[in-house]
Amino acid sequence: MPNPRSAIRFGSWLRERLPVSDDVFAFFAKKSVPRHRHSVWYYFGGLTLFFLMVQVVTGVLLALYYKPSPEHAHQSVSTIINDVPYGWLIRSLHSWGANLMIATLFIHMFSAFLLKAYRKPRELMWLSGVLLLFLVLGFGFTGYLLPWDTMAYFATLIGTEVPKTLPIIGDWGVGLLKGGDDIGAETLTRMYTIHIVILPLTSLIIVSFHLLTNQLLGSSMPLGVEEKRPAIRFFPNFLYRDLIAWTMGFISLLALATLIPWGLGERADPFASAPLGIKPEWYFLPLYQTLRIVPSTVFSVSGEFFVNGIVGLVAVLWAGIPFLDRKASRGEKSRLFTVLGILLIAYLAITIILAYAT
Amino acid sequence: MYRMKLAEAEQTPTEARRDFISKLLGIWSVAVAAPICTAILKFVTPIIPEGPATESIDVGARNDIVENSARIVRFGKEPVILVHTQSGQYKAFFARCTHLGCIVQYQGHGIPHFSCNCHGSQFDINGKNVAGPAPRPLSPLRVSIKETAVIISKV
Repeated sequence: MPNPRSAIRFGSWLRERLPVSDDVFAFFAKKSVPRHRHSVWYYFGGLTLFFLMVQVVTGVLLALYYKPSPEHAHQSVSTIINDVPYGWLIRSLHSWGANLMIATLFIHMFSAFLLKAYRKPRELMWLSGVLLLFLVLGFGFTGYLLPWDTMAYFATLIGTEVPKTLPIIGDWGVGLLKGGDDIGAETLTRMYTIHIVILPLTSLIIVSFHLLTNQLLGSSMPLGVEEKRPAIRFFPNFLYRDLIAWTMGFISLLALATLIPWGLGERADPFASAPLGIKPEWYFLPLYQTLRIVPSTVFSVSGEFFVNGIVGLVAVLWAGIPFLDRKASRGEKSRLFTVLGILLIAYLAITIILAYAT
Repeated sequence: MYRMKLAEAEQTPTEARRDFISKLLGIWSVAVAAPICTAILKFVTPIIPEGPATESIDVGARNDIVENSARIVRFGKEPVILVHTQSGQYKAFFARCTHLGCIVQYQGHGIPHFSCNCHGSQFDINGKNVAGPAPRPLSPLRVSIKETAVIISKV
């Protein structure tokens, strides 16, 4: 049983050596979360952060055994799954965690979109969120090759070829991603480095910025929604609620990881035909399905160039939404943007269903 | 412009000095960052070694590949699909789909053709793109029989 006097003495000892101003505590204490009928959506940002933390912990553990070379990668993942104590669980938590993180990120992003949380003065919060979406998709793409199985190999082959239609920098971009003229050892080390160093460092900066803007500006109150009850303090009241959501998220993740353990396909053979039924992860299915249905030539440009152009344009417009939706910034309803957002969600959902069904 | 000059004229010597140093720092930052960025870009751009170009390969005895079937073989660093057609001919093509680079598969049932399982492109037995998003035909290679061996060479 710790002595309360010792705890107080330790507290004052620490404060002498870390003279943090009371203003800092006041800064964190002033944050509150509004309460209204859409409050449930506030939990998804925290859940995404929670799954990101799961990814960091499980990723560090996997890195202790993983060997990033075409000769050893597949075997090392197989060893993790079959021989390392609880290796199957850690690997499964990492793979399922990635999927749940992206799913909660999408829910968080689309709820923020539909509730117009991007409007003035939260433009930078939205922009950093969109950047985090790209980083998280980058995590998914670069991590996918690491097990070096057939599906991983072809998914990376396709993904690294996508930039080739870009004018001027297309071929350079492909070479930059592959590290050579083919998917091989150089590609694997590049993907590994991006996955475990570049993306985590960049994400740390952007997540910190995203949280800082949230701390400074608070959570957005949806347009036209009345706050019937007073807002609750974030520290510690909302954080306790967040912890309940995180616990539920972790139970779901554990259930998926143990009941449907993530598998490992056959070792990649760069000189074998792509197997039938090959598909990327669900979050890349809209792009995959679009590439499948767009013909080889559209408006006298190549189908790939057309798809790349459309995807690039949608990404830029999506990032620029706070600056385009001037009505929302003035506090007025903007039905056009709501409809556009719903159309985008419908397109993503339909292409995912079509990709699974065909 | 005039206003800017006016504002500069109103600066005290200390402010003017600080302003000058800020501008100097800006120029210095660009001057330092530019070569560093160039070096990093050069560093990350892969060096692709120019190996001796493969002109032809011997893929073994002609009897090894039965009629109406295909085999993927290495042609230097590239995969090539060699087909022994139903009519007894041998045909070879670079096996990468012209869409996004997956390796195509030979389909011998019905009308023989090549298919790419990645995005559903199809090529006829002569390599011509006939369905799906592939923008170009498969590049053909020459197949010749020397005694009992099958030789694939560039066209």
